[in-house]
Amino acid sequence: MNKQEAVAKKKMEMKVHSLGRVEGDLDVKVLVEDGIVVDAWTEATMFRGFEMILKGKDPQAGLIVTPRICGICGGSHLTKAVYALDTAWGTEVPPNATLIRNLGQAAETIQSIPRWFYALFAIGLTHKNYASSHLYEEAVRRWAPFVGEHYEIGVLVSAKPVEIYAIFGGQWPHSSFMVPGGVVSAPTLSDITRSISILEQYRETWLEKILLGCSVERWLENKTWADILAWLDEKPEHRDSDLGFFIRYSMELGLDKYGAGPGRYLAMGSFFHPQNYRYPTIEGRNAALIARSGVFDGEDYHDFDQTRVREDHTYSFYRGGGSYHPFEGVTDPLDPMEGQKEGKYTFAKAPRYALPGVGEIPLEVGPLARQVIAGRPGAEDWQDFDPLFRNIIKEIGPSVMVRVLARLHEAPKYYLRMRQWLNQIDLDEKFYIKPNELPEGRGFGATEAARGALADWIQLKDGKIENYQVITPTAWNIGPRDRHGQRGPIETAMIGVPIKNPEDPVELAHIAQGYDSCLVCTVHAYDAKSHKELAKYEVIKV
Amino acid sequence: MTVVIGCGNLLRSDDGAGPMLIRKLWERGVPPGVRLADGGTAGMDVAFQIGDAEELILVDVCTSGAEPGTIFELPGEEVETPPLEDLNLHDFRWDHAITMGRWLLKSRFPKKVTVFLIEAENLSYGFGLSQTVEKALDRLAEELIQRLGGKGSET
Repeated sequence: MNKQEAVAKKKMEMKVHSLGRVEGDLDVKVLVEDGIVVDAWTEATMFRGFEMILKGKDPQAGLIVTPRICGICGGSHLTKAVYALDTAWGTEVPPNATLIRNLGQAAETIQSIPRWFYALFAIGLTHKNYASSHLYEEAVRRWAPFVGEHYEIGVLVSAKPVEIYAIFGGQWPHSSFMVPGGVVSAPTLSDITRSISILEQYRETWLEKILLGCSVERWLENKTWADILAWLDEKPEHRDSDLGFFIRYSMELGLDKYGAGPGRYLAMGSFFHPQNYRYPTIEGRNAALIARSGVFDGEDYHDFDQTRVREDHTYSFYRGGGSYHPFEGVTDPLDPMEGQKEGKYTFAKAPRYALPGVGEIPLEVGPLARQVIAGRPGAEDWQDFDPLFRNIIKEIGPSVMVRVLARLHEAPKYYLRMRQWLNQIDLDEKFYIKPNELPEGRGFGATEAARGALADWIQLKDGKIENYQVITPTAWNIGPRDRHGQRGPIETAMIGVPIKNPEDPVELAHIAQGYDSCLVCTVHAYDAKSHKELAKYEVIKV
Repeated sequence: MTVVIGCGNLLRSDDGAGPMLIRKLWERGVPPGVRLADGGTAGMDVAFQIGDAEELILVDVCTSGAEPGTIFELPGEEVETPPLEDLNLHDFRWDHAITMGRWLLKSRFPKKVTVFLIEAENLSYGFGLSQTVEKALDRLAEELIQRLGGKGSET
């Protein structure tokens, strides 16, 4: 037994430290035995108090505050915040406004895809641990930060889609241009043509040329995992595209073998049919969604029902325990030192879904969840039906590779939708209808941020915000254990992962990053007995 | 063209000074050839906002230990944060943006970069600036309007 193996055999604790150099924002503490992860805890050490900030404010404050929660998905925050108010006030939203809201959400997402892939994820694949792979040099040539040929192209192209957002929204991020009853922009024909040319530039310079190695239409013909394997062999351009290369390289590195996660998925859905959601209501939401909502429990599909969402804070730094629907949600923080005495370990609450006949379960959100839900039969012809990922998880199971693939797969899909919506805008029609500002009411607004389901629950009383709760995709994925002892999705995804080099556990970093939480990872490896730090692994650092 | 970018988070009291300054300048009116941008907390997009500017002015708050409300003026090169390898999307600040912008924009990177920092008094969760920072912001807005060749206030 060499020294390295001897270290791996010992039981040890590792800390996957996220949020980069802001030390202490998210730690994933991992217990390793004989080179395999046997337990995990996600610990968010950052308190986010926006629910408290919003209490007692003007109903529209959420439109200003929530887009500032995140510098990465401000547009998604705005989207669900505006629908929360639309449903609370019972507005009428003209079809043009729905199209522009859809465009904003999609623009932010297709921006995020190359930026996330090149600036966050693919960097890790140029890690020296993989130097023995015969594809390694090629990976470095493409994806090495700042010098990789495709790294630069990918990062540069990520600036383009949000220019479309800025055309309609004035700025990106942190825009508040979506308002109850519509949008405040009044686009001109040249705004539409500019947006189309930006989209075309995105497609030509990156999407088809670099990512797919084929037309958007050709890629979307793939309906099964077997189709993808056949696509790889069809042409050298396919094999050598970033997507083709990613699949081949991932399978060589074993990224298709670990990081499965809970295997249960939630999508709250996004993008509305412009006619079918003219009068937004909580009850009418599911039927009007283009990218559908739903829950997949590993076997069957279920309709998504917001009344079944719970937030458990048994293990979170909030007073007491229990599990509440967000309308009844409370944010009453505890000093972490005090909380730890009760066995609590994180500021994140644990979102759960009460599945009929099953009970409260943790669910994975994000592109993989969305694409699995897209495989549900019974879609209307204007809704997204896409069986590819339902087939992939059936054939080869979920993994880090599949999760990344799902994210990349959305770029061609969203590109096509955006082209359609731009063509549907009727410049002679309204973009805004002034609503009645009701003093009382309840609203629910949700969307799919690039990184998963994002929703607001708002309660109004005497013309002010009485209660406001936000559940972010990051909370769904990085949430802790619940009162039933069930782990959160990332905690689950870490279990059973083989760590090749315990002094440099790059595998754990791939998992955490594959979920694209609003966090960045650094791995701290500790020996369980001595608690001596064995290694500190910063994912971004190469 | 001169680009003025205000950075910071409106939800963290005085940290919102950058975006608030942009609003003030917008309300006061800036001369042609000046572009304003609310950089918020989206670091990488600050880098993309820089393109085609000859001069870049960045505004943020700091906690150096000085008297709250103190205004610092620094040349960009002094606060640029190398190395690039350490960057990530979720903790990307304007000091990284300068470095990133230099790499991305190459010859299009502005010839002059100036950073104004206001010493913060209160960075807790919530809206609104402390009185001290508010006053400093007014002074800085006035100063910037003058420098950018606009009209100062008529007091």
